[in-house]
Amino acid sequence: MLRRAAPLLVCLGLLVVWQLASLVLKSDSFPTALEAIRAIPVVLGDKDSLVNFAASLRRMAIGFAVGVAISIPLGLSMGRSRAVASLFNPLLMVIYPVPKAALMPIIMLWLGVGDISKTLVIFLGVSLPVIYHSFEGARAVEEKMLWSGAAMGLSSTQRLVRIVLPAALPEILTGCRTGLVLALITMITSEMIARQSGAGNILFNALDMGQYDTVFAMIIIVGAMGIVLDALFERLRARLVRWSEPQFDIPLSFS
Amino acid sequence: MIEIDGVSQVFQTSARQDHLALSNISLTIEDGAFVSILGPSGCGKSTLLYIVGGFVRPTAGVASMKGRAITGPGPDRGPVFQEFALFPWKSVLGNVMYGPRQQGIKRPDAEAQSRALIEMVGLKGFEDFYPKELSGGMKQRVALARTLAYHPEVLLMDEPFGALDAHTRTRLQNDLLNIWERDRKTVLFVTHSVEEAVFLSDKVVMMTRSPGRVREIIDIDLPRPRHRTELLLDPRYQKYIVEIERMFDDSGDDELR
Repeated sequence: MLRRAAPLLVCLGLLVVWQLASLVLKSDSFPTALEAIRAIPVVLGDKDSLVNFAASLRRMAIGFAVGVAISIPLGLSMGRSRAVASLFNPLLMVIYPVPKAALMPIIMLWLGVGDISKTLVIFLGVSLPVIYHSFEGARAVEEKMLWSGAAMGLSSTQRLVRIVLPAALPEILTGCRTGLVLALITMITSEMIARQSGAGNILFNALDMGQYDTVFAMIIIVGAMGIVLDALFERLRARLVRWSEPQFDIPLSFS
Repeated sequence: MIEIDGVSQVFQTSARQDHLALSNISLTIEDGAFVSILGPSGCGKSTLLYIVGGFVRPTAGVASMKGRAITGPGPDRGPVFQEFALFPWKSVLGNVMYGPRQQGIKRPDAEAQSRALIEMVGLKGFEDFYPKELSGGMKQRVALARTLAYHPEVLLMDEPFGALDAHTRTRLQNDLLNIWERDRKTVLFVTHSVEEAVFLSDKVVMMTRSPGRVREIIDIDLPRPRHRTELLLDPRYQKYIVEIERMFDDSGDDELR
């Protein structure tokens, strides 16, 4: 009972602290929690902002899907083949520490400020954790398991798809979960840099116009979006890897 | 018939030095024989098994089966590993059915065969369990059933009971012999337990300490079917064990000399 209610209590507690702090500070740029919450339906009720949200989510979904679709096979191949690993490793090592949003100016220069640039940045943000975890997962697959498959007559491609992939799935999904949150982060940052549409655009327009209640409402909405997406994904993950050993007794999510 | 002809295996150590694991092994394994490869740990006995399985290519020499050189793994040689190597995302039934399904056997037939095998290894009622829910002994029973399911001509058993407690180990040895009595497949069985080798085998191949060579081949002339309680009272059984134990002690000293 307490465990189920704990996340709600935490949120409520934060709101109370916020409310009190803003009442004490009395700053224009720091609306009270109630004001921010009251602004949420206004934002969500606006047709224009809904179009923006839809555009954001569409880019995020495409960036995430393409990222996962490319990164899983790449990571798994890297984990099982020294040749593939040494081919891609230098490239990834260079890209890895670079903040993806920092690439945004160059990408905008080449590809414009439209969907393609933003989706590309999301794709880059998603790819690295998924590649890394797929790689680690594939490397950890027991050799004897692959031998057992080989003795049954599975070709090396079949072993990659039918043994390495399922065996590494718990690790892959951990990467996807990180990737999903990174997709949200890169989605917002890309829209903050290339301000043309999207949730990040609404947020910064509101900031420019001094609509601080909208700014805070947007932060709550985007935060809630992250929490809901993560919780949904965590449910899916738990379903898919029911067979694997439990790693935590306390689930690190709101699902 | 499996023939191993002048097989040597060299490994590169992490210090980039060559390590001779197997040195010029020649051996013939008759069809239907239960042959154990016995030796101290690190003598390369598992490597020899992997070479027959086609999982490892020998540095020199040839292993062949029915006159054809072994170039890779195949369903005619079914491995059972000490680590079980079950597919953890598949249920017991899913694991056992994997081989038959891979061979193109239709689902209902594969399932019926697999259920029968699961019953044979004593796991009726556990068909829908996942490997993580099973004990070590049960996992090895599943692994055995999974391998038997695709009807290999030869069973390659790599210290299959090495990770189990003494009690479970004896029970599985008994059950393995019972199952083996039904169709007398060729079995190549790697172990470092003298008692286990003598109890199970028709022939024990003793290997020397690294680099592994064939030191002695001992025919175990004991009646079958074998029962542990009878054998324990049999002086011939005791003599085999003592004789081999003594050789074991000798080969242990090699390193010190």
